[in-house]
Amino acid sequence: MVTTTASKVEIDWTRCDGHGLCATLLPNDVVLDEWGFPVLNGREITAGELPHARRAVLACPALALRLDRPVERDA
Amino acid sequence: MILQDARVQLRVIGEPRLLAGLDQGRADRQRHLFTHGAQPDLNREAYTQLAEAVGLRGRGGAAFPVALKLADLPAKGIEAVVVNGSESEPVSRKDRLLLTLAPHLVLDGATGLARALGAPHVLIAVHDAAAATSIREAIMERDDGLAIEVTDTPGRFVAGEARAVLSALEGGKAVPPGRRALPTRKGYHRRPTFLSNVETFAQLAVLARLGPKGYSSTGLISEPGTQLLTVDGAVERPGVVETPTGVPLEAVLQFSGAARGPVLLGGYHGKWLPETDGVYLQRPEVSAGIILALGTETCPLGEVHRVSQWLASQSAGQCGPCVFGLASLVDDFDRLVKGDPAGWHDAQRHLGLVPGRGACAHPDGSARFLASALEVFGEDVRLHLDGGGCGRPVLGVLPVPGGSW
Ligand code: SF4
Ligand code: SF4
Repeated sequence: MVTTTASKVEIDWTRCDGHGLCATLLPNDVVLDEWGFPVLNGREITAGELPHARRAVLACPALALRLDRPVERDA
Repeated sequence: MILQDARVQLRVIGEPRLLAGLDQGRADRQRHLFTHGAQPDLNREAYTQLAEAVGLRGRGGAAFPVALKLADLPAKGIEAVVVNGSESEPVSRKDRLLLTLAPHLVLDGATGLARALGAPHVLIAVHDAAAATSIREAIMERDDGLAIEVTDTPGRFVAGEARAVLSALEGGKAVPPGRRALPTRKGYHRRPTFLSNVETFAQLAVLARLGPKGYSSTGLISEPGTQLLTVDGAVERPGVVETPTGVPLEAVLQFSGAARGPVLLGGYHGKWLPETDGVYLQRPEVSAGIILALGTETCPLGEVHRVSQWLASQSAGQCGPCVFGLASLVDDFDRLVKGDPAGWHDAQRHLGLVPGRGACAHPDGSARFLASALEVFGEDVRLHLDGGGCGRPVLGVLPVPGGSW
């Protein structure tokens, strides 16, 4: 069985350079501000959305995006 | 020369503790021992109990409970005790004053705790030439059997942030790293570290000697003892004052000969007070203990605009929303002062876009300062937007350092 703990999207602001890709990939969680930097809505990512969220994290060209809590797996 | 400068500045309301025995200037080892007696040798448990019994909080601004910080350290393998003396709030003088005049009290607190925690290193980050000289001399006057190092850190606002200080101590750039890690877990060289402000260590040294009962003979019940305040701005007697915790703000203002008018509490990350009556000085509101009186002769919004320029210049340039957000706010306040209503509207929007969106609390603190100005100076905002302005010049009552300081 796999149990997951809730995750949120987080940004390392020292890395993010406002590519804006995250807003395209995660339109429900990220919008861009007037300078092109992501604004997070702080919503928790549900278990079903996790794979997609992980793909988005990997897609960030600046490696600035991450999920705040590692997913715990129970064997 | 150092001493003269400091002597004008130092005053006490009530019983002096940290500032005891300093009326003749710097306390060398002998005078220090004569005033305070020897530092008792306490173990980790004793320090934790003491800190908990008196509700001691860090004196650098965040006011985090010392007992909790100690409890968060692992049982073993503590690498260093770090004394943060970078005092990056430009108005604050209390930490350099302690390092300059009472270096042995600070060293007692830091080395006593390092021994109790089994930490082999004591690292002292300083940003003031006189303070650095004094603390280095003091280290020569004693033998603690520990590796004590003094490092000069750059004097930018954000360079004083705990993780920026750690980065500087490791020989890196004095900027906060992107990942939020607690120094108690991943501090100096990513090893468990106890880091706190200069005054916290001086308080620990006093607390170790007095015990919880003696320490609690003054100040608030919830957070007894004394505190150091830096008073500046439109006051006749600026400087550092030691007071019991919880003292009324009005008492400190009168004591310092402050002009009537608005007061900023907590420095340039702090808040303008709508009212000085009924305000008691305690943490967290008092933050690092900075009290700035504005007086009534200067244009408040113009003063705030000047400070906003400085705050924007202090962004470490790492995080987009902080860099662009603060720069936009400078422009918003500029237009607001000149009477453009769009400046006010844009400021409201930008104040919502800045907090929580950086690697450190600089955007949050700067937004808090600016937002409270718009709130408290609502009447002045109206006067400026009505076209004429408030009719007062910008005198520069709020000190703003040029470049780094
Ligand atoms: S994709 Fe990455 S770099 Fe681009 S805006 Fe999002 S977090 Fe920032
Ligand atoms: S939030 Fe601002 S001041 Fe803090 S690290 Fe980022 S850019 Fe620098």
